[in-house]
Amino acid sequence: MSPDPAPPARPASARAREFRRILAEMLKIDRVRGGVVVAADGLVITSSLPRSIAVEPLAALTATLGRELEVGADRLKRTAFHTALFSADDGTVFLGSSPVGFVVVLGDREVNVGLVQWALRKALATLEGTWGTSVPVPASPDDM
Amino acid sequence: MLAVKFQEGAAWPLGGGFTSERESNHVGLLRLLSRIWDAITSFTRPPNAATLFRRADLYRQEGRFEEAAELVAQGLRLAPNNGVGHLLSAYLHLAFRQIGPAKAEFQSVLDLDPYHPRALLGLAKIALEERDLAACRPFLDKALQYYPDFPEARALQEMVSSWAMTPAPAGQRPAYAGPPIQVEKLKPPAGGREFVLTQADGTLVFSQQGDKDAEDLAAHVTQVYRIASATLQRAGLGSLRRGIVQAVTETTFFRSNDRLILALSFPQDVKVGFGLLETDKLWTNSLRELGVRA
Repeated sequence: MSPDPAPPARPASARAREFRRILAEMLKIDRVRGGVVVAADGLVITSSLPRSIAVEPLAALTATLGRELEVGADRLKRTAFHTALFSADDGTVFLGSSPVGFVVVLGDREVNVGLVQWALRKALATLEGTWGTSVPVPASPDDM
Repeated sequence: MLAVKFQEGAAWPLGGGFTSERESNHVGLLRLLSRIWDAITSFTRPPNAATLFRRADLYRQEGRFEEAAELVAQGLRLAPNNGVGHLLSAYLHLAFRQIGPAKAEFQSVLDLDPYHPRALLGLAKIALEERDLAACRPFLDKALQYYPDFPEARALQEMVSSWAMTPAPAGQRPAYAGPPIQVEKLKPPAGGREFVLTQADGTLVFSQQGDKDAEDLAAHVTQVYRIASATLQRAGLGSLRRGIVQAVTETTFFRSNDRLILALSFPQDVKVGFGLLETDKLWTNSLRELGVRA
């Protein structure tokens, strides 16, 4: 018997609501422009993006990126990635890995990278909880 | 469905062909009851394959993959040659990261419909994961040949169009032909490991590791750079400059311009600020060594 049993999994019907709630929480962060929850096959589960960004192409690319991070780590005998960020001159793409696929957040050039990373870790832990597992999250962005 | 049946019932000619109004009403009532009974039993009869696949797709869209997979398996037992069922099965295998079965299911879809765009896209994505560009491109081309307005396939085709057609096998990849590098000037900081410097085309410039591992690492770093760059550009954010990948046991920092990519890993508990600072120092030294302006 495990000394620290995982919390019981929530009913599966809660998942869709959880994805939407998580994305809504991420969108409340200052300078976050949008986000997508995308399955590993590229299926868009929920999204909120500026009108100028088409969701399907972005979802296809982020799912491909997430899979390369997963598959590449496996090939190199590294451990699985849980979060990643990629920055350009005008903003940052954040990517979190979960059992359902990937949580993607777009921030503009002024976005608080540490805060988004921390919020993403918290969101992923919530998702993991929905699946019946638990992941530790730093108490604050400064602890990352 | 129930509503439709009742509407049909209301449209019956209630009086036609009966000898008395009472007999006519009696038969009409029986018919109505029969229709109601049919409607009720349609809910209790086992669902057909199409219904199962429809429900499975709804579950899949909610991220309820386990339940969706169960319904798809049931549906395929009823209709083993159903393309929708095989496509859903392929997607669900991908969601569970079961690549071999996903590939077989996409192939089953193509056996039924050789131009199915979603199956072609699925196989293209798997080929991309396997770094088999020679296999990936024809799938995308074929999907877009018949369905030019297919945004996902178009995005991937645009991304891979600039990549080298066939990556050279391990050990035969193009060697770096730039200025000589003084290794001691590219020493990673304490705790730093798996330091690799590559060109954007995948050519390995410098690595801290042995040859074979270095090539694998360079190939991964290049692939991440390419896909991340395409993603950033698709989001209208510009070209990739920095990246951080946090895994269970290590954190990897990326730095790049349009020609060079640097990757450096630290143990997972590294402070992000320290990692960024040390990566920047190494980046500056690397550019200086190569005679490249930042």
